[in-house]
Amino acid sequence: MRKTGWAVPSGIEPADVKELQHSDSGPATKECPDDVRTPVRRSRGARLLKAGLRTAVVLCMATTLVHVLLVFLHVAPSNTVSKRYSSLVNAWVYPFFEQNWRLFAPDPESVNRKILARTAHTEAGGSVKVSAWFDLTAEDNSAVEHNAFPSHTAQNLLRRAWTSYVDSHGGDDKARTERALMMQRYLSNIAADRVAAHNSGTFDFIQLRVVTLPIAASGTAVGNHPPTSAENRLLPWWKVTPHGK
Amino acid sequence: MGSEQIAPTAPTDRRSRSQQTAPPGAAQWLADRISAAGELLTGRPVSLYAASVLRVGYGLLYLVFLLREFPHRDEIWGPGSPWTPSLARQLFDQTGWNSILTLSDSRAYFELCYVMALVTSALFALGWRTRVMSILFAVVVTSFHARAIFMTDGGDNLLLLMAIYLVLTACGRRWSLDARRDRLKTARAGNAPQPVRSRSAQQLRDARITLTTVLHNCGMFVIAAQVIFLYGSTGLYKVQGASWGSGTALHYVLNLELFQPWPALSHLVDEHTILIAIAGYMTVLLQVAFPFVLFGRLKYPVLAMLLSMHIGIAVLLGLPLFSGAMIVADAVFLPDRFYTFLPHLFRRAAQRTGVWRSTPGRAAGPGSVPWQGRPGVLSSTHRATPAVAVRKDTTPAAGLASDQN
Repeated sequence: MRKTGWAVPSGIEPADVKELQHSDSGPATKECPDDVRTPVRRSRGARLLKAGLRTAVVLCMATTLVHVLLVFLHVAPSNTVSKRYSSLVNAWVYPFFEQNWRLFAPDPESVNRKILARTAHTEAGGSVKVSAWFDLTAEDNSAVEHNAFPSHTAQNLLRRAWTSYVDSHGGDDKARTERALMMQRYLSNIAADRVAAHNSGTFDFIQLRVVTLPIAASGTAVGNHPPTSAENRLLPWWKVTPHGK
Repeated sequence: MGSEQIAPTAPTDRRSRSQQTAPPGAAQWLADRISAAGELLTGRPVSLYAASVLRVGYGLLYLVFLLREFPHRDEIWGPGSPWTPSLARQLFDQTGWNSILTLSDSRAYFELCYVMALVTSALFALGWRTRVMSILFAVVVTSFHARAIFMTDGGDNLLLLMAIYLVLTACGRRWSLDARRDRLKTARAGNAPQPVRSRSAQQLRDARITLTTVLHNCGMFVIAAQVIFLYGSTGLYKVQGASWGSGTALHYVLNLELFQPWPALSHLVDEHTILIAIAGYMTVLLQVAFPFVLFGRLKYPVLAMLLSMHIGIAVLLGLPLFSGAMIVADAVFLPDRFYTFLPHLFRRAAQRTGVWRSTPGRAAGPGSVPWQGRPGVLSSTHRATPAVAVRKDTTPAAGLASDQN
């Protein structure tokens, strides 16, 4: 079947594997006349190496195809195939190949969210002192404005913390899962850090309020800020590690 | 096995194809295709320039990103982040992520990691000991991504995927310090005799070269597929959206306050309703069409339009990192001959403007796509032969056995 001349790998890249595919043709034959002239028998080590190489090449190709297929099923809209093999797809894709290309799809968000925070501090006498609302989002917006390269802390930090909070909580504010508790802690940490960085007062409770403002439909005059059904979600008071002491 | 069927009698008669009996022509054609694909996969590393562009692009992009977030580094990745190290560790237990950053909560350790990330990104972009650096770069990007997973966006996601895939590729063969060192070494050792290698060493070396070639080609294929999936899926999802259909999607995008670095500019663009609708439709059409235009000349105008679209996103929405990651990803579809043509173009343009005095010799790069192997391999082949000849009689049995395969 194979030419014994091929027992001597030519030192030219394709030589070994060319043999897997088709042994007789190809430029490699021409490039190594010296080797062909002296047919050499193969040592066991060489054969082992060749078999190993062949296995590795096949494995590479198989892995590549499997990977591409499973990533496709992961990113494609949910369909009968991806539903059926969802456990396999998830096992392969998570965590490192997770992806989501739906930033502005199917529809871009049509609301702007305003997240505000206020703090409370229990005085020595037992009375509770509550601060005024502090607009966290306004801080982010002003950090983005006139900045050609806004920081992730302005564009993503609070925005994604909130969407993750909603994802794990749903409509109410009762944390039913471990993840929900984690997101609640994350959100309260963000708010507490921001408030503490802004004013020096001490506090041990924090409360968030999220105002959702729909973006007016296209064609509405700019600047005419419509108060059209702004949704107002008041979160419960959360205890935080005492800040500002 | 199976080499006989693929004997090089390529043009079989065409009549057989029209007959209903098993058409040998078709089988032949298929076999030829398969062997050609195998040849493409194992023969030589494809698109070495594009791989290098990806290396430089993502290395620099991450370096710039790290430097940009220097004032916020503790808030994003450090022990002082609202996403505390213990929260991160708790999430790793649930998701299987991991990060070098959560190994210690000490600030000094974090600063060390940050500096290491800077150095790694820079060296990776420069292509110094590229394979090792590519692994380190992937570890760095994965670690930083996992540590701040709730602060990432699409750009970070793409950068992470590419950092992982680039480990597979030979992305340091062009436009890198490694390539420069190799070139200097070959130039210096031009006339000196090559060391004679033993046969087994030579075989190991060949096996390694084949393996790196296959890995590289698989990696490049995965990268290309990844970019195609990205565009294809985002396009398919957008087609389902009512606002993209009505041509108002970009109106909402332009009014998101967090993505409004230049509000006056956003409002100015937003006033042109027709323009917004056309741009929205173009976006969806480009993205859906992307996988289909890559195999013809149409890809050049499409890539140019995508480039302008991403520049628009970078400026209007304040997402330069995301746009940069996308632009670099698109570069994978440009062929080697495009990149080899670039220096000529630059030189001609420079000569025309008179800025660049002609520097012959050194700068004269390879005009066409050069031979893709490692330098020095070809010459060492012939010198290795005597060693082989000496050893050939020592293993007669193995030789016979291999004949019967």
